[in-house]
Amino acid sequence: MATSKVTVHPSAAGPANSGRAAEMALVERCRKGELGAFEELYRAHAGRLYSLAWRMLGNPTDAEDLLQEIFLSAHRKLDSFRGDSALGTWLYRLGMNQILDHLRSRAARAGQLTDGMDDAAVLEDAMAHRLDAAAIDRVDLERAIAQLPDGCRAAFVLHDVEGLEHREVAVVLGVAEGTSKSQVHKARLRLRVLLGRK
Amino acid sequence: MACSQYLTSIQEYVDGTLGPIRRAELEQHLAGCEACRTMATDLERLRESASSLGDVRPPDGAWLQIAGRLRQEGRIHDVSRSRTRLPRLAWAAMAAGLVIAAGGGLFVLRPGTRATTAPTAAQTSTAAPPAAGNAPDAKSVESVQNELAAAQTQYETAITHLEQIAKANQASLDPQTARTLQKNLAITDMAIADSSAAVHAEPTSVAAREALFDALRQKVSLLQDTISLINEMRKGNNAGAAQVVNKS
Repeated sequence: MATSKVTVHPSAAGPANSGRAAEMALVERCRKGELGAFEELYRAHAGRLYSLAWRMLGNPTDAEDLLQEIFLSAHRKLDSFRGDSALGTWLYRLGMNQILDHLRSRAARAGQLTDGMDDAAVLEDAMAHRLDAAAIDRVDLERAIAQLPDGCRAAFVLHDVEGLEHREVAVVLGVAEGTSKSQVHKARLRLRVLLGRK
Repeated sequence: MACSQYLTSIQEYVDGTLGPIRRAELEQHLAGCEACRTMATDLERLRESASSLGDVRPPDGAWLQIAGRLRQEGRIHDVSRSRTRLPRLAWAAMAAGLVIAAGGGLFVLRPGTRATTAPTAAQTSTAAPPAAGNAPDAKSVESVQNELAAAQTQYETAITHLEQIAKANQASLDPQTARTLQKNLAITDMAIADSSAAVHAEPTSVAAREALFDALRQKVSLLQDTISLINEMRKGNNAGAAQVVNKS
């Protein structure tokens, strides 16, 4: 999985100028070693990063470990934050890069990362299932996403959950745009099986 | 069963990237094919549900672990000592009152009051979250929280004891000094109440817990100074009383 460093911005808009000034003040307090300021920063952004890590990695334990590493790394790198982008965007980028590094090393340990899903089998299975008319339960969906293979899950989370375009997903994951489409499409079919019935 | 030749179009339709010609062709097909229509609807619903997934709150212990490691690595300084001070003006007013109050009978408090009532420095450092000893890999979050609760109880016991001593000897103070002390104590009580509420709302918040300990420490310090002041005034030691006020 030859991922690149994240350069794309998350879909969330950054704060206005006044908000940016407040962010810089908060960062300055963090740089001075004020724990309360860093906790404020953590409370504002931890939920988003933890959710991203959990969904991308597929399990809460790894996500919690990585969340700690992301914020410890953020604290070390605060001096490099110049306020050119919103603090949330900077943290998101930092977090995403760490998540991708984690996925890369996991893939290296497990050999070449493949989605482990045979296209024809996935298609046949998905066609034989359908979702219930009832609304899709959030917990069931999270659980099903966690069951997807790593590559497939990462592309699906970035595209369908985080709202990135396929070309952006391709840059982030270091794959061709066609591969991003194929992975996301396969993930949706697999989810139809996991959440549906015959 | 859905028609496999339309599946890519259905996916691109869901992505919103299907061109107008192929889109029209697909819509015509969907109008007459229930299986493909269901497939398209299901995939659209999946995408919509995925895009509306909210944030998941991280476990409460995560922040304590981060704060513990930051402190272990020496990247956090303890700001609690310098954060809030009692208003200097209030103490200045009290200093003026000393001139009038001096001249009362001699009263000597038992030596060692400070050492026996307030938590020791070592106890405080163990209690203050997250102290050097609360390495996340050495102690569970639960045990750290238990230590914090024990330290809080210790502070509260010390405060009760000091309040009893101060109250019993309050008559030694002139009314203006007593009023100033009451005002300062009310400020610290308010800070304690505020930070207690914050700790109650977010039990794992290190900042809230530090603010509470800060307020408790401040009250202990104020009561200790009050007793020293009473002591010096009982002795008729104006200079000593002024020293207590100036030190505070």
